[in-house]
Amino acid sequence: MGQRITVDPVTRIEGHLKIEVELENGKVKDAWSSGTMARGFEALLTGKDPRDASYVTSRFCGVCFSVHTMASAAALDNAFGAQVPDGGRLIRNLIMGAEYLYDHIIHFYHLTALDYLDIMAIANYSGKDKDLLAVKDKVVGLVKRGDTYPLTPRYEPDNFSVADPEIVTMAVKHYLDALKVQVTAKNMGAIFGGRVPHYQSIVVGGVTQYPDAEQIGRFKSMLDEVVAFVKNVYMQDVLLFGTGPLLPLAQLGVGGGHLNYLSYGAFPNDAEGKDLFFKPGVIKNGNLGTVEPFDHQKVTESVKYAWYKEKAPVHPFDGEQIFDLDRKDAYSFVKAPRYDDMPMEVGPLARMLIHKEPNLMGLVTNHGVKPGAVARHAARMLETVALADQMYVWLNELIEAAGKPGFKIQDTAHWEPPAAGEGAGFYEAPRGALGHWVKIKDKRIENYQAVVPSTWNASPRDEKGQRGQYEESLIGTPVPDPENPINIVRVIRSFDPCLACAVHVIHPRTNEILKFRIE
Amino acid sequence: MATSFRNISRRDFLKFCAGTASLLGLSEAAVPRVARALEGAAAKPPVIWLEGQDCAGCSISFINSSNPGTAEIVLDTISLRYHETLMAAAGHLSEKVLHDTIKEGGYVLVVEGSIPKADPRFCTVAGTNFVDTVKAAAANAAAVIAIGACATYGGIPRGTPSNGIGVQQAMAEGMIPQKPLINCPTCPAHPERFIGTVVYYLLYKKPPPMDADLRPLMFYDKLIHDNCERRGHFENGEFLTDWNDFNQRNYCMYLKGCKGPFTHSDCPKRRWSDGLNWCIGCSATCQGCAEPAFYTGMTPLYNKTKDIAGDGPKIETVGAVVTGAVAVGLAGHFIGQVMTGRLGSGGPPEEGGDS
Repeated sequence: MGQRITVDPVTRIEGHLKIEVELENGKVKDAWSSGTMARGFEALLTGKDPRDASYVTSRFCGVCFSVHTMASAAALDNAFGAQVPDGGRLIRNLIMGAEYLYDHIIHFYHLTALDYLDIMAIANYSGKDKDLLAVKDKVVGLVKRGDTYPLTPRYEPDNFSVADPEIVTMAVKHYLDALKVQVTAKNMGAIFGGRVPHYQSIVVGGVTQYPDAEQIGRFKSMLDEVVAFVKNVYMQDVLLFGTGPLLPLAQLGVGGGHLNYLSYGAFPNDAEGKDLFFKPGVIKNGNLGTVEPFDHQKVTESVKYAWYKEKAPVHPFDGEQIFDLDRKDAYSFVKAPRYDDMPMEVGPLARMLIHKEPNLMGLVTNHGVKPGAVARHAARMLETVALADQMYVWLNELIEAAGKPGFKIQDTAHWEPPAAGEGAGFYEAPRGALGHWVKIKDKRIENYQAVVPSTWNASPRDEKGQRGQYEESLIGTPVPDPENPINIVRVIRSFDPCLACAVHVIHPRTNEILKFRIE
Repeated sequence: MATSFRNISRRDFLKFCAGTASLLGLSEAAVPRVARALEGAAAKPPVIWLEGQDCAGCSISFINSSNPGTAEIVLDTISLRYHETLMAAAGHLSEKVLHDTIKEGGYVLVVEGSIPKADPRFCTVAGTNFVDTVKAAAANAAAVIAIGACATYGGIPRGTPSNGIGVQQAMAEGMIPQKPLINCPTCPAHPERFIGTVVYYLLYKKPPPMDADLRPLMFYDKLIHDNCERRGHFENGEFLTDWNDFNQRNYCMYLKGCKGPFTHSDCPKRRWSDGLNWCIGCSATCQGCAEPAFYTGMTPLYNKTKDIAGDGPKIETVGAVVTGAVAVGLAGHFIGQVMTGRLGSGGPPEEGGDS
């Protein structure tokens, strides 16, 4: 029996996550991932006006709020029979794009970069760059005053940490710069979204913000500013780290896991939603050359080790979920979705591998980078760049569309809830595949379901004993010092966890059975 | 004596003071006073920021602050000991900081997210349920600031099976110790209102003047409807019914379910996202997130509102109900005048369609 250690809370993520691992010979031998908070949104939505869903589900998560509104609105579009006009589709794409830009920047700089930097190396910076000297003065000033919170305490830097004073000082400067850029990226979305977080304007049938020339012009200039940072700073930093000091970690493939990847696809380029900018698909067992089509009928959910009443795995819409806080062997509020009975990774690495993104493939073939924690950061950066470029295309299409007679942003004819109906909405959150499902009866929500990215990634074991992707990705991770499990948080944070979303389907008071079926 | 601001330039510091003075509604003339008060601090005041049943949206909103900027607040103004989303530490290291700071006492406790009343096991961090964590942290706090709809009045989680409640109710029911409490509602909290509240407390060492729901009057004393930029259209009986109609783009949102007539907040003046836009600005309606009744007292969100009694929102200005789009067209002006008559009734939105 190896030594057990627990990281609880895993910080610098969204939500409440506990990771427990068993160590043997300085490496992780086994791992358990636990979501430790639940609210119960679906139960709340039952009986409500269906249009409330796109507003309420934004509050699944305050980090990736707009994608929940988006997937919810897509499910409602489907159920109401609404056809989103081009203006609505393009503005939705631009709002969603703004969310990606802010979310990926904040993830890299503010949620994860500190795992790779020996920040105190700044004291040894001896260069003459005025900006970097200002950063040095700031940090040294904090140290002298004996109050370096919240930058300390921290896990001690290890042999993978970057300790070059110039690189570290520059990275911390970028951390501070990125604090401002992420505001610009978020606010860009607020131009059409009303405010941030929790954009207000995405509703069933389209959006509410009628765009004007001033808004479009402002959006463009803010996009220019964010894209300049993405290409001149974010991209350069990830490449510098990934092919430099972090290359050994990347080549080890630390944090690889099951090597199964899933994407639902997102960002419609046409009215029918057939041509998606992010492609749907499935990769199994690390066979990067073969991308299978995605078939939602192959999705099942297991509750074997979650705090719900025992039930065989079924398609989410056929499932019944009865909450059981006293369940023996259960260790998480997160359920265990599987595709073809296989645990899947969702998120930027899955999307870019399914895309066969050439730069990512180049890192794999030319630099020996294996899918894992470092590759996840690279994939996230590469899709940020690709999406940023595409946002100009959508913006130009919006300018063109807005100038034509009959320009529309919302399907007015399908604003009122139907007497009955059901709909599914698939999208890609910054951290992975997201599905919302709604069933309407008597103009009210009869049932609401969501299977979110971190449910895929953070899931516990299933009937076959297959670990979830966080758990599997930790196997073999070096932890030479149990008091300093820095590699564990590096691996987990590379997924950009979002636990508040991952947990929501419960009915503890009524033990009411939730049922859903999709044709 | 160490001061909070020695490591930033005088120019930056005065800019910071001007920003905070403006948040508090103080004139330029007050900047030197703000500067003296902040400079006089012996050390950065410690802050513990707990997240319970939250979505981290208030944290994400907090870091949207531009003037003063997030870095200036987090590194120069306060000593942010514990904040799950921002702190470098994890696991046992973060727990140690939490416990050490609680032991030290005298900190400002910020609570984001609700407290699960149905069963404490709905939220557990580091093996301790959230009720016990707030209980311990409140015990030695100098003051508590509840940030966002969930931590103030329960917000959306209040209507879920976990029955999330706010700090105010938890104190009233004796679940956690009574301490000076300031509520900064809205979903999410507005960064300027929150930071303004923190700075007020640091300057004056006491909570700002507040209303009966413990909201600072400097931010929440007016109804949105009374200061709404679309009020003129309301008076004219011009209501948005079709988002595709260019001519209607700035019309009153009342028929689409706007809760501005009974929601207290300075949103129309302050706006959101550095003043770029706000909920009504994007024609998406106010959904009353500054009110204790949010969310269950506000649903259905997109139906026009009528006044009724009960535990719904307090209606202070809406007197009559618009009965249909036809009435709007024919008698808009008349209706507008009737609706401005002040009545003291309150209630949740009307059921059914809005036309």
